[in-house]
Amino acid sequence: MSLNTRQNLKYAGLKFIELIATLFVVSFLTFAAFSIIPGDTAQIMLGPNASPEQVARLRTELGLDQPLPVRYITWVAGAFTGNLGDSSSFKVPVISLIAQRLPVTLGMSILALIMVIAVSYPLSVFSARRPGRIGDTICSILGHVLFAIPPFVLSLLLIVLASGVLHIFTMGKYAPPEKGFGNYIASLALPAFAIALPKIAMTFKFMRSAIIEQNASEYVKTERSHGLSEARIFLRHVLPNSNVSSITIITLVLSDILGGSLIVEQVFNLPGLGRLLLTAIDRRDFPLMSGMIFYLALITVILYFVSDILASIADPRIRLK
Amino acid sequence: MSKAFKKAVSAILGLTLCAGMCACNQTQPGTSASGEPDASGAVEASGADADTDAVYGGEAVVGITQEPSSFDPHTAVAAGDKELIFNIYEGLYKFDSTGTLNPCLATDCEISEDSSVYTFTIREGVTFHNGDTLDADDVVYSLKRAAGLLDSQDGTALVTELDCIKDVEKSDDGKVVVTLESGNSELLSYFTTGIIPDGYDNCEAAPVGTGPFMFDSYTIGENVTLVKNPNYWQDGLPYLDTVTFKICADMDSGLLELQNGNIDIFPYLDSIRAEQLDTTQFTIESNGSNMVQIFALNNAVAPLDDARVREAINLAINREDIIEVTMGGAGVELTTAMSPAMGSYYDTSLDGTYSQNIDEAKALLAEAGYPDGFELTVTVPSNYLVHVNTAVELASELSAVGIDLEIEQVDWATWLESVYTNREYESTVICLTSDYAPYDVLQRYASDSSDNFINYSNSEVDELLAEIPTLADTEAKTELYHQILNILVEDNASCYIQDPTTLTAVSVRLTGYSVYPMYVQDMSQVKVVE
Amino acid sequence: MQSKASSFRARTFFITGAVFLGIVLLAFVMSLICSPYDPNATSAREILLPPSGAHLFGTDNFGRDVFSRILDASKYTIFISIAGVAIALFLGVLSGLPAGYFGGFPDRVIMLFNNSIMCFPGILLALVAVAVFGPSMFNVVWALGLVFAPTFARVCRAGAMELKTRDFIMHAKVMRVKPVRIMYSHILPNLMPQLLPATVIGLANMTLFESGMSYLGLGVQPPDASFGKMLADCKAYVLTAPWLVIFPSLMLIFYILGLYFLSEGIRVSYSGRSDS
Repeated sequence: MSLNTRQNLKYAGLKFIELIATLFVVSFLTFAAFSIIPGDTAQIMLGPNASPEQVARLRTELGLDQPLPVRYITWVAGAFTGNLGDSSSFKVPVISLIAQRLPVTLGMSILALIMVIAVSYPLSVFSARRPGRIGDTICSILGHVLFAIPPFVLSLLLIVLASGVLHIFTMGKYAPPEKGFGNYIASLALPAFAIALPKIAMTFKFMRSAIIEQNASEYVKTERSHGLSEARIFLRHVLPNSNVSSITIITLVLSDILGGSLIVEQVFNLPGLGRLLLTAIDRRDFPLMSGMIFYLALITVILYFVSDILASIADPRIRLK
Repeated sequence: MSKAFKKAVSAILGLTLCAGMCACNQTQPGTSASGEPDASGAVEASGADADTDAVYGGEAVVGITQEPSSFDPHTAVAAGDKELIFNIYEGLYKFDSTGTLNPCLATDCEISEDSSVYTFTIREGVTFHNGDTLDADDVVYSLKRAAGLLDSQDGTALVTELDCIKDVEKSDDGKVVVTLESGNSELLSYFTTGIIPDGYDNCEAAPVGTGPFMFDSYTIGENVTLVKNPNYWQDGLPYLDTVTFKICADMDSGLLELQNGNIDIFPYLDSIRAEQLDTTQFTIESNGSNMVQIFALNNAVAPLDDARVREAINLAINREDIIEVTMGGAGVELTTAMSPAMGSYYDTSLDGTYSQNIDEAKALLAEAGYPDGFELTVTVPSNYLVHVNTAVELASELSAVGIDLEIEQVDWATWLESVYTNREYESTVICLTSDYAPYDVLQRYASDSSDNFINYSNSEVDELLAEIPTLADTEAKTELYHQILNILVEDNASCYIQDPTTLTAVSVRLTGYSVYPMYVQDMSQVKVVE
Repeated sequence: MQSKASSFRARTFFITGAVFLGIVLLAFVMSLICSPYDPNATSAREILLPPSGAHLFGTDNFGRDVFSRILDASKYTIFISIAGVAIALFLGVLSGLPAGYFGGFPDRVIMLFNNSIMCFPGILLALVAVAVFGPSMFNVVWALGLVFAPTFARVCRAGAMELKTRDFIMHAKVMRVKPVRIMYSHILPNLMPQLLPATVIGLANMTLFESGMSYLGLGVQPPDASFGKMLADCKAYVLTAPWLVIFPSLMLIFYILGLYFLSEGIRVSYSGRSDS
């Protein structure tokens, strides 16, 4: 028991050190990238006709005249306290812009994740129980095809179908959560579905093979020979033992969803982070761009960390690797 | 954007973004909702409230395709900002939907013999959105601020055209006297610049004007909301309680939102998209826009510095085809720097100067030393679909005379900086817009004009442009404008393409929307049909 | 028995993949030798014509022949995906092999960087890079190459770690073969079972990214054709001119699907071989 706890702690500690190191590199890369790219934020903010004195004054104001290491530390400290400075084009704190758009992107991502789990799990269980049968084959083929459709193509098709033909969806009508939770969900359902479909296919594929592998394992065979019911074997043994792969796959899916939502938002004309990023790109708003990139990467880093810890709890063998 | 940047870009007054376009006075017969009163937008209050069917209240949503960048009446230069704040701020004078300049916050203007002193009588009984009463001090402050004459300013005019103002004073009888550096009879149209309360400097975050609507909120990326000004000085106006300007990603999503009933008015359609709308749900207002879409050729760059090459390009392109492809045929062919929508200032004898002639174009190119053509880069702002599409069509057409046109797309900020301000480009496609004033259209062709981004230079034109403001007689001025237009054609200053027609979709739920020969959305006369 | 079943499955995957890929490759070859029209030639009098004998897939809003443009787009799609994957593969092998082979500190440093890059949403990284350095095909290729490199590095590292304990590598070590030589002529060829499917999947994912970027206007630049841009431009005509949506979508899906099936085939046939 105490050995186990010590191992647990050691593993978690190692992972935590890894997390800190990754965070350092991620923040360093973001900062470095935006320091070397052409374009001086002060010059961009002031425009081409600004006098050198004006530019110099603003550079001092923004701390751009400080040596790079000092600027890096200021930036990182700011990033973790939610103070990334002001957007150069909107003149408001970067963090408030992100916070304002977050409900759209986050809501859509979570909704998509729920759809992925709700559809792909039962489907993979159904398919894996009788591999090779017609049901399984149809699911597998469908999975391959859906996997190959780019999310924006899927979005276009869904818009035509739901909005143009069936008239069940109102394009671009985003309802913020404070104006009724039901409407909020309804306004995000179709875009979330467009993001979720290829991920459902992906999760289905992985889960199916994981379950089939478990089914073929010795202990399941033994239990079967002991006359335990199929349902019991499945629920008590097969599913829990597939958990490691499901944690890994869900983490992958979630980070993919965050990235994928950027384009889908644009197709559906939703005011989320994707639109904000494109606006930032259009206006050469480096503080806003770097802030968004860093926070999205931060979410992913933490996601991977949590998933590693969860996986080690689900399968203690991982800790020993 | 910072003050200084806006100051820098304010040189670009009159330069427009063609995704949205403005409008003109001739509403096509049969396209307006029936039974509406004459909504010509006369600024005088008369008759506006006499309409017995007047329905007050309700809201309207207008689709716009760009993020507002400024709410300050003196630094807002992008046409997309101006169309919106037209409802918040008013100037001493104001244009109406026929392009006529009417007194607004001034009741009258006296111009001295030599056009160097303008004396305005200020309207009484006007209150700002913050409750202050308008007086001469507010006007003095606002004009000084626009002209860069406040003590806190460095002397650079925020509104470039008002740079010629030497001083603004309040006279003893409460009038406002504006003294110019030298005589200028063409300045009245620039006194449309917004008047704000004395000493007020927070227009960016909390706009305060005297207009029919008050600023309510701006949610970045989503919308700008205006609410009714209950104390508007024109009795009976406005009708609506709320006007929302909703930001749409582009023309296509605007169209979809229109079809889904999210927006009521969308002023940026081309004919292909407009045809997809249900005519029982929308009326389409179709108007010339008084804009000049130009294939701008940088006169300072070889081989475009050779007038024969520019003429060859003018002969090689097919304007009708470009209009067909980019606007679905909804546009007026242009051969010179002014739109026919400018009425008598335009010289109709210039119609049809160029017709496509590939052989002649090739001969001219050979004469200039380019028998096999040459490579040319066209730098276009990527956010304006019409211009990008025009470049694609131009590339296809110019390949017939051996000119290999390479399209370089840049974002809007880069375009403003490298093309318009620094003039580091070979060619570009853009729409030039202006107030309904001929001088505003042509002043950019003066050699030393900051708006002369094509690097055109002709001493004759310079002299004519210097002479016009000293004249008082409209007919004499018109004659000189015609001369300038003809010289521009002789020199093949650039390649003028079209005055794109704006199609504005208006929901049948609303009435009273009128279109202007300028880039504005006047919501004061719009009301809900009941 | 296992191997028989899996070789049948592998063959099915190969054939289906080859059919889908063949269509796109045929288009690629045709774009080089026998495109019916100039893909960029506009024609104001032939706007939005439905498919016919003269225009097999109809014309677009510029009056351009959609069939010719699809051929042209196949060319760019194939070029970008191959060039991008080549860069990613090069960088991945260069960093992943030594990391796995030597292990220890270099491994930790290299993998830390790799994992960190993987934490950024890939499409976002590529978008920003292209936006900052200007949209062009060249920038798209290197940006995507960079974004995809860590995936290959991971595969190489895992493979090298596993192989370096095998007898033949131990033997080479004893024979004092230089590490560089061991990595590139002994380990790398034996990584094919992992690298080959990863490369093929990489081509497919690269195409997914590229088409998304082109859709947003930050990929292939007009007037050149790309599937993503064609789909972005036809948004207004989805209901009135469906041929503008259908053909580019289908080609895009065929290419990606063909690559997926191919990689499945490779994977199954390798695993079948090792099973037997």
